[in-house]
Amino acid sequence: MRKDYEKLFTHLEQIDVPNSLFDCIIKAIKQEQELQHTKKLLFAFLFLLAFSLLATPLSGIMVVSQIKNSGILYFLFAAFRDFGAFLAFGQDFILAILEALPLGEIIFFSFSLGICFFTAHLFLHKKRLLLQCLFHNVKLHNLKFI
Amino acid sequence: MYSDEQLVVDYLKGDEKSLEILIHRYLKPIYNFVYRYVGDKEQADDITQIVFVKAWKNLKKFHFRSNGSAFKIWIFQIAKNTALDFLRKKKTIPFSEFENTQGENIIMETLRDPLPLAPEILEKADIAKSLNGAMEKLSLTYRMVLFLHYNDHFTFREIAEILGEPLNTIKSQHRRALLMLKKLLTDAPNKCPS
Repeated sequence: MRKDYEKLFTHLEQIDVPNSLFDCIIKAIKQEQELQHTKKLLFAFLFLLAFSLLATPLSGIMVVSQIKNSGILYFLFAAFRDFGAFLAFGQDFILAILEALPLGEIIFFSFSLGICFFTAHLFLHKKRLLLQCLFHNVKLHNLKFI
Repeated sequence: MYSDEQLVVDYLKGDEKSLEILIHRYLKPIYNFVYRYVGDKEQADDITQIVFVKAWKNLKKFHFRSNGSAFKIWIFQIAKNTALDFLRKKKTIPFSEFENTQGENIIMETLRDPLPLAPEILEKADIAKSLNGAMEKLSLTYRMVLFLHYNDHFTFREIAEILGEPLNTIKSQHRRALLMLKKLLTDAPNKCPS
């Protein structure tokens, strides 16, 4: 019986696939791939932007206050005021300055400054793409609430 | 010939060609399957495109199952859901079409499989016309069960997975669909003279 029906169904009209459909699918997948890539880029950019906006001023303030409290300025002032003494005790002076340096804060500040420059660089190079994607997402977000 | 699963693995490893082979392999079956739902070529074009993009998006999430037809079932499930979403948005069919067949005639549930088709029906010159006409008169669910079983050669278990219905429901739908189809085809000569 099943064979009868299978035979019968061979008569069923088969719809031919339009020639352009395969290319359209490949094109749609490529577009989707690009969109996903742009979204990832936008997400990374926003994350880096938020990080650098928060971290750079904070780490900057920390470095400045640490330097003020560490006595480095005093050492430097003393070195310039009495250059002869500085040369005589140069090694001690340098060691004292190095010891007083807030290394952790300086590294963190440099890192956040680096991120800040990288974010700016990213924005300048992908400005068009990022803005397009950002406005497209904002539009979609607004449409959801309409 | 590579299996579907092998092609998926190859694509995920970076072989773009594997995806093209997969799309080629399923383009016609999916297109025809979607067309049976929407009955319009342009809409079938759009939906087929969406189906493959959705499949591509979820390829990483696709978990291989033990039997060889896992990918086939999975992509047909995507096609079914996409076509139904489209129809729901268009509201061209009542929501009850998608519900289980609870509350239907219990006598029909217990009917034995219908007898083989009469040879004269198979020999009819305008069989394709009659068959297409009869299929169109069947409800969407019955149509899809028959189409998947006889055209795409899915087992009842696979059809149950694709359509998201219990196995026994699919079996009884199949029985009822065959009965109705047979009746429609038997009545057809009066309406469609050869």
